[in-house]
Amino acid sequence: MMQRLRPQSTSAVMYTVLIALCPGAVVSMWVYGMGVLFNMLIATVSAWGFEALCLRLRGRPILPRLSDHSALLTGWLLALSLPQAAPWWLVVAGVGCAIVLGKHLYGGLGHNPVNPAMLAYALLLVSAPVSMTTLWVDPLNPPEITLAWSAFLGIAPDGYTSATVLDLYRTEFIGLTQPEMQNHPLLAQSVFGVAAGTEWVALAYFAGGLGLLACRVITWHIPVGFLGSLLLLSALFAIDPDTATPPLTHLLAGASLFAAFFILTDPVSGATSPRGRLWFAIGVGCLTYLIRTFGQYPDAIAFAVLLMNFAVPMIDHYTRPRIVGRDASVRGSGGLS
Amino acid sequence: MADLNIQTTRFQLPGGIEPEMHKACSTETPLEQLDTPKHLYFPVHYSGGGRGESLVHVGQRVSRGTPIIQTDSGVVHCASRGGQIVCVEPRAVLHASNDISDTIVIETDERLDQDYLEPLSWPWTREILIQRALDAGIIGLGGAGFPSHQKWGAQHTLVINAAECEPYLTADDLLMRVDAHSIVRGACLLARTFEIQRIVIGIEDNKSHALDALTTAIQSARSDCHFEIVVLPTRYPSGGERQLIWLTLGEEIQSGQRPSQHGILVHNPGTLAALSRAVDGKPITDRIVTLTGDQMRSPKNVLAPIGTPLTELLAAGHTDLEHISSLVIGGPFMGFEVMHHDVGMTKTTNCVLVRDPMPLPIEPCIRCGACAEACPVNLQPQLLLNALESQALERASHEGLADCIECAACNVVCPSHIPLAQWFRHGRARLQADTEAQQRADAARLRFTSRTERLERLAKEQEARRTARRAQSVDALARVRQAREGNPS
Repeated sequence: MMQRLRPQSTSAVMYTVLIALCPGAVVSMWVYGMGVLFNMLIATVSAWGFEALCLRLRGRPILPRLSDHSALLTGWLLALSLPQAAPWWLVVAGVGCAIVLGKHLYGGLGHNPVNPAMLAYALLLVSAPVSMTTLWVDPLNPPEITLAWSAFLGIAPDGYTSATVLDLYRTEFIGLTQPEMQNHPLLAQSVFGVAAGTEWVALAYFAGGLGLLACRVITWHIPVGFLGSLLLLSALFAIDPDTATPPLTHLLAGASLFAAFFILTDPVSGATSPRGRLWFAIGVGCLTYLIRTFGQYPDAIAFAVLLMNFAVPMIDHYTRPRIVGRDASVRGSGGLS
Repeated sequence: MADLNIQTTRFQLPGGIEPEMHKACSTETPLEQLDTPKHLYFPVHYSGGGRGESLVHVGQRVSRGTPIIQTDSGVVHCASRGGQIVCVEPRAVLHASNDISDTIVIETDERLDQDYLEPLSWPWTREILIQRALDAGIIGLGGAGFPSHQKWGAQHTLVINAAECEPYLTADDLLMRVDAHSIVRGACLLARTFEIQRIVIGIEDNKSHALDALTTAIQSARSDCHFEIVVLPTRYPSGGERQLIWLTLGEEIQSGQRPSQHGILVHNPGTLAALSRAVDGKPITDRIVTLTGDQMRSPKNVLAPIGTPLTELLAAGHTDLEHISSLVIGGPFMGFEVMHHDVGMTKTTNCVLVRDPMPLPIEPCIRCGACAEACPVNLQPQLLLNALESQALERASHEGLADCIECAACNVVCPSHIPLAQWFRHGRARLQADTEAQQRADAARLRFTSRTERLERLAKEQEARRTARRAQSVDALARVRQAREGNPS
């Protein structure tokens, strides 16, 4: 029964993930305005464009590969990770990086060593830091559709963006006490006292992720490993609430839930055995906490994922299950061939 | 009355899949005896039991049961019906290799004469039973065709593999329904001869008729053997040899070892039934074949003479070659595709499967791990594939290529439709060839070094003898000289 529920082809897998993204995307549009939709649309077009271009240059059949939806998924994942008021060129450049540098330079679908969307995100973050840090929409004051459109064209006046909650804890909240922090409108108007609006987007991604679990596209290992290690570390250091970011904020304010179910679960660049996936996710969780707490970037998922992607061959080598009939599991690479 | 104990397995298969079984279609109609076909084909080399040699000449008249092929392993194959040997000519064989072999062609006639062996009467020795198995042409009827007697020896447990876990196959199921007595008797005879203490039957829970028949047969058997039936959940590949041993006995056979090294003997029910008949003097002349598949017009099981042409089997299922897209011998996962259709069935032909395989486009591996989840031996097929694709046989071997049982469960679950099992089969064949080449090279090196050593040793001995002789002659000369000096005449 469960086997029939599992998607029967690669394109069906990708399609299922696209559908599972929809709740989060829709809530995102509701919270942050239509900029999210514009980003997704331009990401769709450019993902198809870059994919077709690369396939053509590589002399590969275009239609079969385009119809496996993998490029579209990369585009959407990146579009949903970018600031909601990002100008069109940022999205196009990002998708171009993801498809060309992240995927096709390594041989296309199934051969990318790192997560293409996160590679593009990291590249944009270091090469366009201002756009990547200042264009986050204020969920309490989302722009109207015309304003969102001018933001998309890169010609909008300011006034609808704000620092994200994770940013607040690292900058404005320094020196404040816990009750003073709670007076900030983003926290005061939040249902969970975490981050108004943003928390609903995170929960919508969580719902989509549960759908993926139910369809057996992903297993529990990655979400549990990642969220568990992130929560555990932040809970350990949250003894002093005046200086540390609370665990619930780590969970709901940033991209944690989105990443736990949609980013880390990229099978190509992640570890492959269940045990390996658990270790991979724990690694990303720990790095995310460390970079969020001690680093200079607004969110840390991209760098944490990239770093752990590099560790995947090693994780794979040390986490194979024991082959039936053997005393111990096979370790190491067995020669350099 | 034999003692019986029925239980459900306490053990679980790692991995495995639950595919659609398609078994009911061929079990609805009763077993049918196939008419004797006009011609029967017996390949000299691929009938089971190794390379063979023809025992007959063209023009000779043979009866049902006349020995016609003697193989390297000692197994003798007999004519399944009486008739005239019309020719011995190279023909394609019904084997995964699709090879060509000299084939004995018998033109059958109406006469029903038999050339059977003398029935054995208890008590007999192990050697006598082994000889009988050879003379009656008994090989494993489950599919591999391994000569059965080679497995017999110092075993304490007999496991009867009645799982028949692959979709479509129902030949064993039918045999158990119609002739459970022979299976039980064969098991008792074997157990008594080789002092086997434990007889365990592993059967999947989708064969309730067969289970009932076995139960009745065991309870009415005039034997003091103790039988255990272990009911397994329907899960492919629970009928793999190692998998079955794990599910029935809870014992794990070490990688690279055989069950017989652990004192466990595994037999297909058909083999035991054949052994029971062999004791009565009847060699293997017929077997049950499942005719099935979506393109088989009337799917059923038939009792067919060994050597029956495939076209006759298809005709029995009211199907002809023009209306089928692929013909597979065996199940959909482990069977092999047939290239030449004008061939005769062998003792291991358990199923003729005709269907439209509907091949799906192969896409790149996305390392989703579905194959690893389905693998019954906990391999990581995605890593194995990566190694084999990059021609890294050594790395594939390190990943456990030799432990693959080629069950093809990974193929079934792969969302990219990669023929993983074919990669592994090919890789294993290369690995084996490499190992054999290595062994040959090692043997040659050993021969060379021992020859060099021997030559050196001989040279040294010769040298030593020469020195000794020289010393002697010097001595003798000295003595002579001394004598001459001491006696100046």
